[in-house]
Amino acid sequence: MKKTLSRYFSLYISFLKHNLKNEMMYRANFAINVGMDIFFMLVNVVFFSILYGNVETIGSWNFHQTLVLVGTVGIVRELAYLTFRKGFLELGEYVRTGNFDVMLHAPISAAAHLAFRHVSLTESLGEGLMGLVLVGYGFVQLGNAGLSSIGFYLLMLINSLAIYYGFCLIINSLVFWLIKSQELNTVVYYFMNTARYPRDIYHGLGKAIFTVIIPSSLIATTPATILIGRAEPALIVLTVSVAAVFLSLGLFFWNRSINFYSSASS
Amino acid sequence: MKKYWTVFRVNWQNALQYRGPTFISILGNLLHISVLLYLWNAIYRSEQSLGDYSLSDLMTYYILQLMINSMVLSYISWDIGNEIREGSFSNYLVKPLNYLHYWFTINLSGKLFEGLMILVVGAVLFFVLIAYISFPSSALSLGYFFLAMILGGILAFEFDFLIGILAFWVVQIASFKYMLQYSMFFMAGALLPLDLFPKLFQDVANALPFRFLVFFPIQIFLEKETAPLQGLLIAVVWIVVLYFLLRFMLRRGITRYEAVGR
Amino acid sequence: MPAIEVKQLCKVFKTHRKEAGLMGSLKGLLHRETVYKDAVKSVSFSLETGELVGFLGPNGAGKTTLLKMLSGILYPTSGSISVLGYTPWERKRDYQRQFSIVMGQKNQLWWDLPPAESFLLNRDIYDINPKDFQRTVDEMVELLDLKALLDIPVRQLSLGERMKCELLAALLHQPKVLFLDEPTIGLDVISQEKVRGFIQEYNRLKKTTVLLTSHYMQDVEQLCERVLVINHGGIVYDGSLLSLSERYIDHKVLKIRFASPQSASPPRDLKGVVEWDIHHAEIKIDKKEIAAMTYRLLGDFPVEDLSVEEVEIEEVIRRIFEER
Repeated sequence: MKKTLSRYFSLYISFLKHNLKNEMMYRANFAINVGMDIFFMLVNVVFFSILYGNVETIGSWNFHQTLVLVGTVGIVRELAYLTFRKGFLELGEYVRTGNFDVMLHAPISAAAHLAFRHVSLTESLGEGLMGLVLVGYGFVQLGNAGLSSIGFYLLMLINSLAIYYGFCLIINSLVFWLIKSQELNTVVYYFMNTARYPRDIYHGLGKAIFTVIIPSSLIATTPATILIGRAEPALIVLTVSVAAVFLSLGLFFWNRSINFYSSASS
Repeated sequence: MKKYWTVFRVNWQNALQYRGPTFISILGNLLHISVLLYLWNAIYRSEQSLGDYSLSDLMTYYILQLMINSMVLSYISWDIGNEIREGSFSNYLVKPLNYLHYWFTINLSGKLFEGLMILVVGAVLFFVLIAYISFPSSALSLGYFFLAMILGGILAFEFDFLIGILAFWVVQIASFKYMLQYSMFFMAGALLPLDLFPKLFQDVANALPFRFLVFFPIQIFLEKETAPLQGLLIAVVWIVVLYFLLRFMLRRGITRYEAVGR
Repeated sequence: MPAIEVKQLCKVFKTHRKEAGLMGSLKGLLHRETVYKDAVKSVSFSLETGELVGFLGPNGAGKTTLLKMLSGILYPTSGSISVLGYTPWERKRDYQRQFSIVMGQKNQLWWDLPPAESFLLNRDIYDINPKDFQRTVDEMVELLDLKALLDIPVRQLSLGERMKCELLAALLHQPKVLFLDEPTIGLDVISQEKVRGFIQEYNRLKKTTVLLTSHYMQDVEQLCERVLVINHGGIVYDGSLLSLSERYIDHKVLKIRFASPQSASPPRDLKGVVEWDIHHAEIKIDKKEIAAMTYRLLGDFPVEDLSVEEVEIEEVIRRIFEER
């Protein structure tokens, strides 16, 4: 087990290096990507500042608290690109052209192979950096939580990443039937996009749906509550459990789909 | 005309093959809109409001936007850009087809197909949503609304086509295109109703044609638009102006394409 | 124990039929007709260690499907496969470290990076120790004559150069079994020759078991003593190329050049004429009658040149494939 882990870690590092070399071949692209990310993050900030021009609070969250939410989504996105996200965007093409075969006969798990093949530091770097700035700004402006909360916040970020990964696995398992991943990833895109609204806007059935079926309400809200000094043990326990369930379900569906692929592809 | 009818039919069939993905992307949109509905609901529950919108006005705004997203907004620039960049554009140069009209047909059949799909989704959700929708009081407003949607669809196509053929001049188009597309999206009132924006921003948005894609038709539906007929006329003028601009740019682009020989 | 043993292997694909036209599409919305297609029908064969065997068959005969099942990408509907004692579709890491598959139409090299980078990555994926890795690379670079190309981005390489690099990447972990799916497809004649020469040399040096598919006759003719001919999902012939023509062809071709112009049509009682004009003649002759016929023709016509030729192997294969 330990040996496998260290092997996968060193594989991850060497794939990351290769991808960096690859990205350096297109340096102009890198600059444009970062610029575009910052632009999109700014649009989000403008969106919320217009909203907060009209209202005081949204679901009891004020403007600075919401900035921490927006920033958190940005950071989770960058972490996702640093681990698994881009591989899923390419999956449809792999399945369509049959190049997914390569992932099935190499001595490394197909999920890890797909993820590592496209790990990218730069793809979402602008969002990550802007995210850090927003979270930092909000944190300092609010001054409600101690520095000790930062470590806990980081742990919950990893937990959110696990939910995101589980959700991606479930949704992208469908690629093997649909042979197109673009639309499926629009769903994933909206999933993350809607994560930036505070969980408190939901009530009743909606709250249940956006917790256990589409767990977007937990992705940013749970880590953010820690940084703004509102941590609730119950919410944290809930979020960690949801992560465990989604990750297991995701891996289950993924493995089933790979078996389907290897019985049906021609 | 007959050849474009064939293009229409073939594309329709192609779309049918991908009805699963289309359906899923509508679900994605639905996810987005329903979260926004919860957002407005939360705001109005805490006895705040946005501008002079009532809760049902806002709900209506975003439900209609779901429709407009599928039936009006155009997403062809990606394919056009790829064709030009990768050189498969040459296939059209040797065929007796007008590239602009060809893509108009493709877009039209795609939008009608998505419209059909959204009708299916709409029919299912109708009874849940009906309580939230403020319907217009007169049939005339409804007529104006549909007219505005059609004009918006044509304008949206023209803008997207314009972005697509920028590939003749710009090598790195993807990011550029996204930014342009998203700004338009924003200025069209797709994210927020334009009259919630600061005054200066509103004046700029009103002078630009993008509001005809989303904001204008919905304002008619909500009967907040004071001069619908005048707006429709302006939209028509924009359509005509853009049409000539597109033809001109396409001709210039082709000349350039031939010279570069990509 | 044979390196590869395949028994009673079957693969059935399920597809949906779609009628052409708009109405057809609409019908497809409501009801889809399922069609079953036997891609591989009860195939059995075995390969000894170190053998180099060719799979021959027209497009869609089931060659690639078979290779995919052998490498564990696909699992069969029924039957069994044992490669080096493993069942491929269990996808055991130990098995995956011992074989390799190269598909002529798919590439696993990184498009924008020099091939050397992709090799490094494969070193890590296959857990090859750096010493062995370096030794293998040096040796292969020598054999494939790749030295000058290692630092050029793959996208700038020619198809033939790219194929050689693909081969190198696939052989880094020194597989005991190698599957090659159309390794020379799309290459020019010289590159084909080089790739072919390399496969032959590699098999001879390393005693690697090689199974290759190709629809280029020369590949199989030059490389394989043994061929498996597959058509409509079943193996129709298993044996040497030489006895293939002996078994299927009962005639040879007699070619004649006349010393002076002759009548434009052949004598009425002459059978098996393929071509006849005033200068040349080409006649199909039953193997048993060659001596008698040659004697007659030499007597009846002023012959300047005469040759008796075997039917070309491609012709033999074509005949087999045309049989239903």
